[in-house]
Amino acid sequence: MFDFLIQGFGVALTPLNLGLAFLGALLGTLFGALPGIGPINGIAILMPLAYTLGLPAESALILLAGIYTGSEYGGRMSSILLNVPGDAGAVMTTLDGHPLAKKGLAGPALGLSAVSSFIGATIAIIGLTLFAPLLAIVAVKFGPAEFFGLMIFAFASMSAMMGKDPIKTLIGAVLGVLISTVGVDSGTGVLRFTFDMPELYDGIDFVVMIIGLFAVSEILLMLEHAFRHDQDGEMAPIGRVMVKMSEVLYCKWAILRSSVIGFVIGVLPGTGASVASAVAYTTEKRISDRDNTFGTGDMRGLAAPEAANNASAAGSFVPMLTLGIPGSGTTAILLGALMLYNINPGPMMFREQPVVVGGLIASLYIGNVMLLLLNLPLAGVFARVLQVPRWLLVPSVAILAFVGVYQLHSDLMAIYLMLVIGVFGYLLRKFGFSLAPVVLGFVLGGLMEENLRRALSISGGDVGILFQSNLSIGLWIAAALVVLVPMFAGKLKAKFLPAARPS
Amino acid sequence: MKLAADRILSLLLLGLAAFVAVQAWQLEVPFSYDPVGPKAFPLILSGLLAVLAVVLFVRPGASGEWPTGALLLRLLFTMAVLGLYAALFINLGFLVTTALVSIIIAWLFGAAPLKAVVGGLLLAVGSYLLFTYGLGISLPTGSWIEPLLGSN
Repeated sequence: MFDFLIQGFGVALTPLNLGLAFLGALLGTLFGALPGIGPINGIAILMPLAYTLGLPAESALILLAGIYTGSEYGGRMSSILLNVPGDAGAVMTTLDGHPLAKKGLAGPALGLSAVSSFIGATIAIIGLTLFAPLLAIVAVKFGPAEFFGLMIFAFASMSAMMGKDPIKTLIGAVLGVLISTVGVDSGTGVLRFTFDMPELYDGIDFVVMIIGLFAVSEILLMLEHAFRHDQDGEMAPIGRVMVKMSEVLYCKWAILRSSVIGFVIGVLPGTGASVASAVAYTTEKRISDRDNTFGTGDMRGLAAPEAANNASAAGSFVPMLTLGIPGSGTTAILLGALMLYNINPGPMMFREQPVVVGGLIASLYIGNVMLLLLNLPLAGVFARVLQVPRWLLVPSVAILAFVGVYQLHSDLMAIYLMLVIGVFGYLLRKFGFSLAPVVLGFVLGGLMEENLRRALSISGGDVGILFQSNLSIGLWIAAALVVLVPMFAGKLKAKFLPAARPS
Repeated sequence: MKLAADRILSLLLLGLAAFVAVQAWQLEVPFSYDPVGPKAFPLILSGLLAVLAVVLFVRPGASGEWPTGALLLRLLFTMAVLGLYAALFINLGFLVTTALVSIIIAWLFGAAPLKAVVGGLLLAVGSYLLFTYGLGISLPTGSWIEPLLGSN
């Protein structure tokens, strides 16, 4: 049953892939540490590079997954040192991380967060290794009707869990799906929403969409940020990055509980690190905050969200690799990257692409160890990155965005389209939307329509087929439950999900 | 009394939903065995979007802070610079456009003029070397430079 893992280690241990895993870990930590450039931006910018460098699919995925997991490590730096979360998943880390730094414990705080990140990720990767093959076996039984139900469930759980505004989450998802309908309809060859522009016949390109939505809109947001607050807060001195065994043991239950919470939430389609760390923090606060020390620099309040966000990153690979449904906004982009390689994500992937799947899972183990080794001694060096001035950082983002799109298309239209999408993304973020649902809708939209139409053509147009098998009925019920239960427990939810910066 | 931002958004979304519906309705579909066809899915989406937009109109959220005055001008200027970057990218070439754009953006982000110029030039040259020699990506050199080189 674990043949895929043995084979995977064979793939991941080749010099090229080891090097790429290391590069991914390094770049990911850097991207995560830079305020404003989270995992999604990092991957969006580097994805076209990986593709045009001619890396094979498994190597590209190893690099990108390394960036993803690495940036979950890096996100804590600016949270702890500057009280500025590097991305949405690191918001909870500021609550106890920054007070610790103000007490002069920045070094131990960085050390502890690296160790909890490592433990969280390790538990989740083991979970991934155990659960993914089982889920893949079940997933083979999925027909088009079940897949459609599953996607409904993914959107339902996302709207229920993510952000404080479920309506906007749903609107974002619908907009994403709508954008995915642009281009030639594969079923009939009819052109939809192309407005006689030949550039749109193939649909809106994934790379153009992602880079525009994230990188270009980020440039505008950073400009706004720089204009409103002239300076970032002062950086706390780090000192020596070390963590005592006693400190880790003090947090052991917080870390273990949060790892499990993070993994489970990561596995749920559509919800990622920001939800996981918020739920883990509030749970831990309820269970163990007897002396009201959470929020004032309690080690457990730092360890919990750090373990959870790394665990959820690994957990979100489960639905992506077994069902082809991304577990988070970032895995949605990884999924899109796979599609660039003409690999159809889905239940057959485990069987048909053992090299890719096994190699990826094995490289997660390897990358996680590398990240711990990188982050304990080098935290001080990475923290320097925080001091890169914005006026150098922003042009670099612009250059990477332009080169990324240009090298794929060598076409001005694609660059203009990227800029238009960037303005669109900026407006969405100003209106308080998260971009993750838009991406998820965009990636899943095509699959959703395809499965719906396939199901209905099997049944000759009878909608009843969508509710025929026990599996699809179960998925519809689950979708209804995730939406309805939080509505009744609305007050509870308000506690669970504090306002996070949309990303 | 200012109209809440979400209400304006809701009206825009309703407009979009109507536009999508009309566009989808007008699609001419050749005969096929597909019982659904290309119209149904966009129509369902536009219906869903309309419902969500109405809900948003009834329960708008906080309006947030919108850029005005000098900030709005800077944002528009930045987009114009990026648009110009795109327009000149191929004809003027990567090096020249990137240096110019980097200098302007650095200056917009508050760098002193000398710093902006040095930083922008270094960024352009450094990234050119990295992409061309490090990663083997071919970047546009610019059509003006070829006659100067007397290339074939």
